[in-house]
Amino acid sequence: MSFPEPLQKLIDEFCRFPGIGPKTAQRLSFFLLSRPREEAVSLAKAVIEAKDKLRFCSQCGCLTEKDPCRYCSDPRREQKLFCVVQEPRDVLRLEQTGHYRGLYHVLHGALSPLDGLGPEELRLPQLLERLSQKEAGELILATNPNVEGDATAAYIARLVKPLNVKVTRIAFGLPVGGDLEYADDLTLSRALEGRREM
Amino acid sequence: MFLAALKLINFRNYDRQELTFHPRLNIFTGLNAQGKTNLLEAVYCLAVSRSFRTNQESELLRFGSDFFYLEGNFQKKKECYQVGIGYRPPRRLQIKLNGKTLKRAEYLHRHPVVVFSPDDLLLVKEGPSIRRRFLDTEGSRLKPLYYRRLRDYYRALQQRNRILKEYRGSRSFDYSLLEPWDQALVKFGSTVMEERIKFLGALESRARSHFATLTAESESLSLRYLPTIKFNGDFELLESAFREQLTAGHSAELRRGTTLIGPHLDDFAVMINGCDVRKYGSQGQQRTVVLALKMGEVDLFNSAGDEQAILLLDDIFSEFDEERSNHLLQFLSCREGQSFLTTASPSWKHSQNCSGQSKIYTVYRGKIKID
Repeated sequence: MSFPEPLQKLIDEFCRFPGIGPKTAQRLSFFLLSRPREEAVSLAKAVIEAKDKLRFCSQCGCLTEKDPCRYCSDPRREQKLFCVVQEPRDVLRLEQTGHYRGLYHVLHGALSPLDGLGPEELRLPQLLERLSQKEAGELILATNPNVEGDATAAYIARLVKPLNVKVTRIAFGLPVGGDLEYADDLTLSRALEGRREM
Repeated sequence: MFLAALKLINFRNYDRQELTFHPRLNIFTGLNAQGKTNLLEAVYCLAVSRSFRTNQESELLRFGSDFFYLEGNFQKKKECYQVGIGYRPPRRLQIKLNGKTLKRAEYLHRHPVVVFSPDDLLLVKEGPSIRRRFLDTEGSRLKPLYYRRLRDYYRALQQRNRILKEYRGSRSFDYSLLEPWDQALVKFGSTVMEERIKFLGALESRARSHFATLTAESESLSLRYLPTIKFNGDFELLESAFREQLTAGHSAELRRGTTLIGPHLDDFAVMINGCDVRKYGSQGQQRTVVLALKMGEVDLFNSAGDEQAILLLDDIFSEFDEERSNHLLQFLSCREGQSFLTTASPSWKHSQNCSGQSKIYTVYRGKIKID
């Protein structure tokens, strides 16, 4: 079975998205075709606009419309507190909590020699420069709690040692509001490792 | 817990077969290539949702059919539940517990099962990798967290090896590149070693007593973990010893382009009266050792949970002389758990040892008959 060429092209484009297979791509395409033309135009416009207007902040590396981003250019934020995350989406997630009021630094990945990601690929010189420029007081390492994220955190902790900045690792533990009973073994054992005196 | 009934449809060489089992001992006799091992495989597959012989589910289909289905009733204390396992490619294997669909990860560790086949003799004959696999598969079945640590260890090892390979022989290597992976390797590797040593100790104490009985107390069995990291046995000091020796070997590793120490290279020695069985043991001694190890493993499973393991013995009696066979048979009829065994030898039908506590079946061309 072959689709008309424009349709096949649309399906192929959808197929590139993460988590989208041929079946879902077909569904999305047929859905789009069933909608009025304006909707398709507005979708296309939104894609182009997002692509054109958004870039990575030259300082922290997060997604932004203007450079420097609103976190880096906000004087009310704590200027001596830094938080390192792996991906731009992690910044948005942390912002949603409304709890963190310092600056960010996005690595755009984690150390993974198997994927060709070494320290040079991770915006580390920029981090060192910013830390010394702002005379940072604390650096929070919020990379993912897996083998690569932990290794990246360990590498950075060592790298910034000469700067005399206090380095902390984000805590791992039980989900708040959950029952001990439902936590998986690894989470529970890491929560035990990271226990605190009361 | 025991398997009370089993139905097979289009599984291996069975087109359709329904059976009920004895809660203790079930003996399948028959000529070669009639379907004895296939039946053990069906029991295993129903209990664990995979095969012990292959990772390819399509190999389990009867020749020319497009699906198989296994269904069985497990009896656990007073409660009874039904498991159905179906496979119709290209769909994935379906697991149903009392009609409710389960994921494989939710089902995998539900039933303790130990398989004992002639291949297990390789455990004391072959190289270290087979013994490491034994430690790792049995260890992670008893302690699922061990599996996660092991996986993290191998992940860190791969990452580290990639760096060493990339910079192999380089003169101006920046050792800080290795540092984070060294940290991970030491952390996970120490846990892996500790768990393996503890598992081996627990296995040793149980296997020893079986071995003593098998040899009429004349010989003594011991198991010794052989780490590539030298340390004095104090787990508190293991991490620092690991780190020291890893750092000391950096330049050699860079020359060779790979990680040269760590639990991925460890082994364990099986010794009789202090001598390594692999090097100095006779065929008979090696067999006795494996028998003792397997019985010890069953004991270990029994003490780990409140469930008795199901034991599957595939044609194992052909490997043992009469005395060892009798000992094993006694072990099987004394234990509370259920056992399934296959044998090509017809003399079993007249065996005195297990009357009343067992059911004997004859397998002929994919059909099973109760004797």
